[in-house]
Amino acid sequence: MKVKLFRIGFLQVCLMLALSFTLVSTIQAGSLEGFMGEKGTIKISGGTAHIPVMKEAAKRIMTFNSDIQISIAGGGSGVGIKQVGEGLVDIGNSGRKPTDKEINTYQLNIFKWAIDGVGVVVNPENKVTLLTKAQLVDIFSGKISNWKRIGGVDKSINIYTRDKASGTRDVFWKKAIDKGQITDKANFVVSNGAMKSAISTDPYGIGYVSVGHIDESVAPVALDGVVPTLENVKKGTYKIARGLYSNTKGKPSGLVKKFIEYLFSPEGQQLAADKGFIPVK
Amino acid sequence: MMDRVLEKVVTGFSWICATVLLGTVFSIVGYLLVNGLGTINVTIIFGETDPVDALLFRKQVFDGLFPAMVGTFALVALSVSFAVPIGIAAGIYMAEYCRGGLKRIFSLVFDVLAGIPSIVVGLFGFSVAIFLHNYFYSRIYPCLLISALSLAFLVLPYLIRTTQVSLENLPENIRQTAPALGATKLQNIFYVLIPRSLSGIASGVILSIGRCAEDTAVIMLTGAVTMVGVPKSVFSNYEALPFYIYYISSQYSDKQELLSGYGAAIILLVICGLLFMMAFFIKNRLTYHALYRQ
Amino acid sequence: MKGIDRFAEKFFWVAAVLSLSVTVLIFGFMVILGLPLFKGGQFFEILSKPWLPDRGIFGIYPMIVGTLSIALLGLGFAFPLCLGCSVFISVLGPKRLGRILKKTVQSMTGIPTVVYGFVGIFLLVPVIREVFESGSGMCILSASLLLAILISPTMILFFSDSFDQVPKPFLDAVDALGGNNAQKILYVILPYSWRGVLTGLILALGRAMGDTMIALMVAGNAVALPDSVLDSARTLTAHIALIIASDFESLEFKTLFACGIILYLFTTVIALLVRSIDSKSWRRK
Repeated sequence: MKVKLFRIGFLQVCLMLALSFTLVSTIQAGSLEGFMGEKGTIKISGGTAHIPVMKEAAKRIMTFNSDIQISIAGGGSGVGIKQVGEGLVDIGNSGRKPTDKEINTYQLNIFKWAIDGVGVVVNPENKVTLLTKAQLVDIFSGKISNWKRIGGVDKSINIYTRDKASGTRDVFWKKAIDKGQITDKANFVVSNGAMKSAISTDPYGIGYVSVGHIDESVAPVALDGVVPTLENVKKGTYKIARGLYSNTKGKPSGLVKKFIEYLFSPEGQQLAADKGFIPVK
Repeated sequence: MMDRVLEKVVTGFSWICATVLLGTVFSIVGYLLVNGLGTINVTIIFGETDPVDALLFRKQVFDGLFPAMVGTFALVALSVSFAVPIGIAAGIYMAEYCRGGLKRIFSLVFDVLAGIPSIVVGLFGFSVAIFLHNYFYSRIYPCLLISALSLAFLVLPYLIRTTQVSLENLPENIRQTAPALGATKLQNIFYVLIPRSLSGIASGVILSIGRCAEDTAVIMLTGAVTMVGVPKSVFSNYEALPFYIYYISSQYSDKQELLSGYGAAIILLVICGLLFMMAFFIKNRLTYHALYRQ
Repeated sequence: MKGIDRFAEKFFWVAAVLSLSVTVLIFGFMVILGLPLFKGGQFFEILSKPWLPDRGIFGIYPMIVGTLSIALLGLGFAFPLCLGCSVFISVLGPKRLGRILKKTVQSMTGIPTVVYGFVGIFLLVPVIREVFESGSGMCILSASLLLAILISPTMILFFSDSFDQVPKPFLDAVDALGGNNAQKILYVILPYSWRGVLTGLILALGRAMGDTMIALMVAGNAVALPDSVLDSARTLTAHIALIIASDFESLEFKTLFACGIILYLFTTVIALLVRSIDSKSWRRK
């Protein structure tokens, strides 16, 4: 009796495994296959952190099917949410969760396909790599205005920040400096990429950027002892984290639905991981 | 005695100015060439796609400047085809049909149009697009068409002014010959006056082409995007060279992209430089042909 | 024949009216879309308040100061430079060098402003940062220097043309009296063509106030009122480019139309000024 059951059980398990492998491989193959025979345009705008992933996904899809045209613009999370709400684009990316008011006003469907953090960065030549939250608040409000007060050189601190439409800024403002004031002497840059360029060329600058964007051109600053890396965001020890969202007005359909599905597919999630974010699956 | 010193100072000063100006221009252009000339090759324009496929629009180009170049080209072609007929016609009106107080009013308005900052024109274009989107046809977004129209508004005053000035500068005896032989005003304009002012008008057209190719502020607000490939219709978004340069300069993710920015700057510089030189060349040469050709 | 004539005349007339209406339409759109600002009586408030969106204050005063300081400083750098160069081209320089300079200046008119901004970010900003040892290098000074180079070619060509308008008999008279070139410039050409010089200056000011890319890329875009030329500042034009991304219905966005109206008014004033100088006899050949 026992042996029979065991054998059937084993067979069943093998069968299930075989079935699931085929299923998985079909899904994997189907990531791009879903776009076969489709035509049309997808307009995407919004968060600048999402752009590398969007560009690569668009490249793959457009190479696979040249009848599809995907247009990608930046502008920041606020722009993405607003434009998708107004029907100006099909997908609005945001680096922060849309507020309930926004969801209601625009009937948004939100899709979180990756997790990212927002880290404070300085120029690689800067010796200051550790800050407490209190120091950060004072730096950005302008109270501490010279590097020497926190162990650096005797030069004034150049602050770089983003505009109000930025989701990165929103997360930084709420979680890193507890909605403190950002001095109005700060320099404004228009995207994560721009922030990186600015900090990497200014030895006395400080700013904040998506963790997925941090590379050798900027140096991350540990906040209260925790370095902003992907592992720390994943583990939960680095608290300044946010989701990467793609939002649509109403339920997505057709080409747009396929694109969103692609983001959640293994291939899409691998893409997110390649570009430095934490996939949700 | 003091006068002598003053004269020497003035002379010396003008030499210094000339040197400073030349030095600055050469360092700017030189800096671009030194950093960017090495990057100009097939890859920077076509990425990994085969150039022939790209040129025949069989395949899309990614990571290359080709879509931006096509976008700029399409934009310029479209906006110039809007602006030229209206600009030249309005210029003819100003020079031939308009008189007195009305002419002064028109003149003032066109001067104002010429001075409007490009970003204000862009803001106007954007507002019109949103207005149309909300109240008329909800499939209108900032796109190639809107950008082309806005750019047309931008260069309209140049065309009007150059046409008007070229026509007005014709000597009186030329103007009076054909009518004396019985031609109508229109025949005079088309068979005599325009051919003679062709060089001025042509240089105005070419100047407008250059202006459309280089403008960034207008297209930033009316439809240029980071990436979309070659524009498929006038209602789609597009990429453009000047926008690419602006975007790369603040948001390059690696050395490769930065170098492509230099390459793009050089290409744009070459395009605009060629256009402006053509304008001056035509201005001189067409006069010769118009006057002396059989 | 008569029919075609009338049709053509109508066509030309329509074209001109169309162009005129575009100009008026641009202003009209700004006013209509900015109407909420007028209604609340806030328009004049906006002109004098600072920009503090977190506190709901959307004043564009710092931007007005930014535009004026960058433009005027740029003009301040450019004017002597252009005067010197055009004097060189027209009179004081050797004929061949003068021609080379003129050809170079003519080609310079083709350099796009975005290229100036691009080079400025990588070449000028680090230099300013190191030389003055304060600030990030993205400041009023950097923007004005680049702006000065941007507006120079047009100013130089304009001045040169004005100098060339001086009637030859005047120049011959100086030679006949045994004067040299410098005296020609100082005592005959400049006094005669001061109107042309002034016109060129004012047109260049208009161009400087209306430029967007250089200020956007190199001036830092801070919203604080600048204290010194080494401070980061924001111009009205850069402000429009930055805020265009916000919610179309919000008060924040409406202030863009206030910026547009102010820029439009600056332009109109400049056009009127040029006109009033021009209407004197110097233009008649």
